[in-house]
Amino acid sequence: MLAITPADAKLGYSLPKVEFGPVSRSTLALYAGASGDHNPIHIDIDFAKRAGMKDVFAHGMLSMAQVARVVTDWAGIDKVRSIDVRFKSLTHIGDKISCGGEIVDAFCEDNLEFVRVKLIANTSEANTTVVGEAIVQVT
Amino acid sequence: MTNSVANEIGIFDRSTVGARTSPVLITVERGSVDFFAKTIGETGSIHLYKGAAHEAGFPDVVAPITYPIALSMLANQVVASRGEKPLFERIGSDFSRLLHGEERYDYADLIYVGDNVVVQSEVLGFADIKGGAMEVASLKTTITHSERGLLVTMTSTAIHRLQ
Repeated sequence: MLAITPADAKLGYSLPKVEFGPVSRSTLALYAGASGDHNPIHIDIDFAKRAGMKDVFAHGMLSMAQVARVVTDWAGIDKVRSIDVRFKSLTHIGDKISCGGEIVDAFCEDNLEFVRVKLIANTSEANTTVVGEAIVQVT
Repeated sequence: MTNSVANEIGIFDRSTVGARTSPVLITVERGSVDFFAKTIGETGSIHLYKGAAHEAGFPDVVAPITYPIALSMLANQVVASRGEKPLFERIGSDFSRLLHGEERYDYADLIYVGDNVVVQSEVLGFADIKGGAMEVASLKTTITHSERGLLVTMTSTAIHRLQ
């Protein structure tokens, strides 16, 4: 169960982390099938090499799915108003995706209270793959 | 915007601004949602079990929050089967140069297994970034329920590496 409910949300609070992986070729094949994103750059090493890459790399949306889980695991999916992410660098085969979130703002709109959660995904301390934010209703 | 330069080196077909796909009606399938949830490692029981969703007050299994990507991709396939080009093709994407830039989802309501939804995509516009080293296409997809109205608006950017 949640140690802190969204209603108790305070600025600076770090949401429980979500870990995923390591990402394998199977993971990417399954995600291609599950998401319907069949872009061969993620599943066909011959295509990836012809495109100048050393290997296939993960779908950005797989990382978005993980940073989004940080928010939905904590707040509940029905409280999330928006999620916005930017893809900063590639996630490679063998990478573990480590995701976190921090409350950076709180505001009222139409008599409802919201927090802004800064989201981040890393494959190592030095490598950030996704940054973003979510707006979560807390009342 | 440096259209005059980028149009010479860019790949996207910039005449497609405002182009829309025809609307696609999709029934949200249990197996598809389950496959997606398990693949992303979803652990929330409302995304996996109908009973848990009922107990939490939802009418059926709740699609994970990034599941709209699967509806959008499925709509692309349906559009293609009608002989219509999916937007990614219509804007002239070169998949060997294509990167995903940003993705934004705005939620008006949840998506449940069994929902009948209409999916439709539109080209918002194009821009040049990094001094013409990259070009960006902005696309929007809406998912609308036949009775509950707009559920999700997805806005995304696709980037071509030009150098």
